[in-house]
Amino acid sequence: MKQICLVCQNIDCKNRGSEALMKELGKRVAEKGLKDVEVRPYMCFGACQDGPNIVLYPEKSWYAGVKMEDLDDITGHLAGGPHVKRLDRIDSSLKELIYQLLDTGVF
Amino acid sequence: MGGILFPRGVVEGRERLAEYRLRGGYEALRKALQGLSPEMIIQEITDSGLRGRGGAGFPTGKKWAFTRECAESPHYLVLNGGEDEPGSKKDRLLMEDLPHLVIEGVILASYAVGASQAYLYINAEYKDATRSTAEALAEAKEAGYWGENILGHDYSLNILAVAAPPNYVAGEDTAAIEVIEQKKPLPRQKPPFPATVGLFGKPTAVNNVETLANVPPIISRGAKWYRTFGTAESPGTMIFSLNEEVNRPGIYELPFGTPLRFLIEECGGGVKGGKAIKAILPGGPSSAFLPVQKIDLPLDHNSLREAGSSIGCGVVHVVTEGTCMVEDVLKIAEFFAAESCGQCPACRMETNMLAAMLKKVQQGQGGQPLLEQFSKVISFNKGKGFCNLINMPGPPIESALRLFRSDFEFHLAHGRCPEH
Repeated sequence: MKQICLVCQNIDCKNRGSEALMKELGKRVAEKGLKDVEVRPYMCFGACQDGPNIVLYPEKSWYAGVKMEDLDDITGHLAGGPHVKRLDRIDSSLKELIYQLLDTGVF
Repeated sequence: MGGILFPRGVVEGRERLAEYRLRGGYEALRKALQGLSPEMIIQEITDSGLRGRGGAGFPTGKKWAFTRECAESPHYLVLNGGEDEPGSKKDRLLMEDLPHLVIEGVILASYAVGASQAYLYINAEYKDATRSTAEALAEAKEAGYWGENILGHDYSLNILAVAAPPNYVAGEDTAAIEVIEQKKPLPRQKPPFPATVGLFGKPTAVNNVETLANVPPIISRGAKWYRTFGTAESPGTMIFSLNEEVNRPGIYELPFGTPLRFLIEECGGGVKGGKAIKAILPGGPSSAFLPVQKIDLPLDHNSLREAGSSIGCGVVHVVTEGTCMVEDVLKIAEFFAAESCGQCPACRMETNMLAAMLKKVQQGQGGQPLLEQFSKVISFNKGKGFCNLINMPGPPIESALRLFRSDFEFHLAHGRCPEH
């Protein structure tokens, strides 16, 4: 199934480098030949203080406070590797709200 | 119009000092300085039941008492003429046409709260109001109504006008304080409220223009007289703004408790083109829609609250039959998304999210589950911002969904408006 990597591009995440992160993630996904993965910008997940935020959908993994050096592990996960536990620290109620919204197609 | 503020209807052009004096202008100030202590003024305003006209409806006497009783000094008074509510023009017209009434209110309020410095915070786009206020300030100073030893008494007051950025959050009271401190118009976290920790960290009363315009008549004629207008819980009059949807757009000063129908039909001359009314948004974009069946509702704080809406600052938006509620509410959601100052993450997310969700509905995407998400997003974010903006998109969106769900369902099914 196609996996979408939503990278928040709202002010806080952007200030913390999410634009460069998105570009780099896209590059690495292409390099690895992950054809079923699409990297896309997202308006905001509401976890600005924990940004930059990346949500994998429909898998529903949420990585917070992502840095350049985390991208290898994230692409690894996208290629079938393990979940990156250290980046999974968002409150479950916010996760649920955002996942439900994504389920209704708000991209 | 024959109200409290506009006794002879709207003045044509600025009322000069001489004209204002002819109808008893500055007599309230003279009366106060000659024999009323600040505490007595506050008591009179409390007894009158005057409530803030900027939207929240907070009792003015109570607000003043908080500031007055604060031991910290100095105290400040801020006239909030930011007036950024879309469609509202009452404060602009008061400042343009009746600047002396407003200024006398400012001086009385400053005296009551113990301020020796007052700021007039006026929307920078209001060129006429700014000029009119400046001219009136000069006239009033010349006549000894403000400055050193007002009218020979030992109370002194300095007044300074400050330009208010014309964006929505800049009208919020703590954002106004930030601007006066020469910072960006960003609301502060509350509490502490500005009444005790405000301008430069000192006790500050921030009052709306219309609120302060009510003060001279109350001090001149007394709380008992004032209470002959309006209702027990909402005494006096309120200035309502009607916009292009009616035959006679404009501002109308009416006693609280006047039926909504009177405002729309008698004052506004009914809806343009004789169209039927579908819904009414009685208190600006942050109030809840009322169905047309509520058109005989009295316009006062309690009646509107009981009907699930609010009176706000009196901007009444009439939605006519043939208007799609999805489109109407989308405009409101996009307004709040654009006006969110962005400093609170939850507000930024919520306002953007709601607008994006409505856009999806408009395009016929998301289905029923998406409609269920609105109340979840709204309740998740409730109260999570410094100011009230985060709570504002909720009432119009949720009421529209409740009252006009078929418009939303039509959009989901067909990707277009039902009436087009």
